[in-house]
Amino acid sequence: METTGGNPRCGGAAYALLGLLLLTTLTHISALSVTVNDVECIYEYVLYEGDTVSGNFVVVDHDIFWSSDHPGIDFTVTSPAGNIVHTLKGTSGDKFEFKAPRSGMYKFCFHNPYSTPETVSFYIHVGHIPTEHDLAKDEHLDPINVKLAELKEALESVTAEQKYLKARDSRHRHTNESTRRRVIFYTVGEYLLLALVSGLQVVYIRRLFSKSVAYNRV
Amino acid sequence: MNIPIQRKGFSLLLISVFSLWSRADSIRFDLESGHTKCISEDIKSNSMTVGKYQIVNPNDGHPLPDSHKITVRVTSAYGNSQHYSDDVTEGHFAFQAVEAGDYMACFFAADHKPSTTITVDFDWKSGVAAKDWTSVAKKGSVELMEIELKKMLDTVQTIHDEMYYLREREEEMQLLNKATNNKMFWFSFLSILVCLSVTGIQLWHLKSFFEKKKLI
Repeated sequence: METTGGNPRCGGAAYALLGLLLLTTLTHISALSVTVNDVECIYEYVLYEGDTVSGNFVVVDHDIFWSSDHPGIDFTVTSPAGNIVHTLKGTSGDKFEFKAPRSGMYKFCFHNPYSTPETVSFYIHVGHIPTEHDLAKDEHLDPINVKLAELKEALESVTAEQKYLKARDSRHRHTNESTRRRVIFYTVGEYLLLALVSGLQVVYIRRLFSKSVAYNRV
Repeated sequence: MNIPIQRKGFSLLLISVFSLWSRADSIRFDLESGHTKCISEDIKSNSMTVGKYQIVNPNDGHPLPDSHKITVRVTSAYGNSQHYSDDVTEGHFAFQAVEAGDYMACFFAADHKPSTTITVDFDWKSGVAAKDWTSVAKKGSVELMEIELKKMLDTVQTIHDEMYYLREREEEMQLLNKATNNKMFWFSFLSILVCLSVTGIQLWHLKSFFEKKKLI
């Protein structure tokens, strides 16, 4: 990955090439799924001020299917300065987008108010489009690179949407499979319970009549 | 190394990457000493995958303290170990994914008396992103544009493939729902049958019992 980690590269020309690549193709993305017990934070580096940070997240809940009053999870984005840039409270999945006020390490946190773990799958994308200022600074930068960057951003937004759909589809599938399992389990359980109860009834009646009839006879 | 799933005392973070294709994924996360964090990624079969991890030095200029060491293990979807490093500060792995499915990379920090938090920078690429574009690139801005357009072409191709995959999944789910619907229908009938048969058996049994007892 071009941005974090600082890969040392030998050769000034290669460095320039890398720099050009950075300027035109800055797409810093990461898609994950996290099991949140309490608070889980992921750090993501934003290189330029004014970059659009977009993303989405979906809660693929584990076991809380029947508790419809689960408040959902909270999502906060903290800027490197420490102030909260974006929050979403009590949702089970949403999209977000904001303009980064400054460059630096941003913190994306999920908070789960319940003690049961929830799996959150999310996708974050930091996109940069070279502006007039960047064009003026670097003469190697062609105006066409701006268009290329815009095109790339559009493609990334399609990809982000796909990931969102995929995560939601996965959750839907999870729910469906759970419903199916529970339907079968409860139905069979109901039959067994019915048979058991009627068996107990018969036994009880037998006992009732066996003893009291004997009493009456005597 | 056992990967503890939901064991008390260990906070296991299952981080699975929702991506089937070419995507550079560089994340930074904190690892408390004595805890395990796992990252899993869905990798297609026969695709190249490259991973690089390193511990982030909290004080620049000073060497990393000795306690900051992690153990890393990468396992395939079926449990075969693809990479294992013990007590290292950084490393990398690369392999061709034979089996398709969820590959898991687990990080374990050894227990330390004052509980320390190690920041790990992890970079995992698979599929097309694992292709080293800078070595393919030549000097000059025209070639650069060509690389960019090639990348975008790959991206579009992958979007296309992903749409097919989503469509397949949706169809599977529809079938599943139809099957569940069908099952429920038959189960309701069965439920009435069971009810009636149980009642019938009860009545027959009690009748014969009372006849035997000469009460009827």
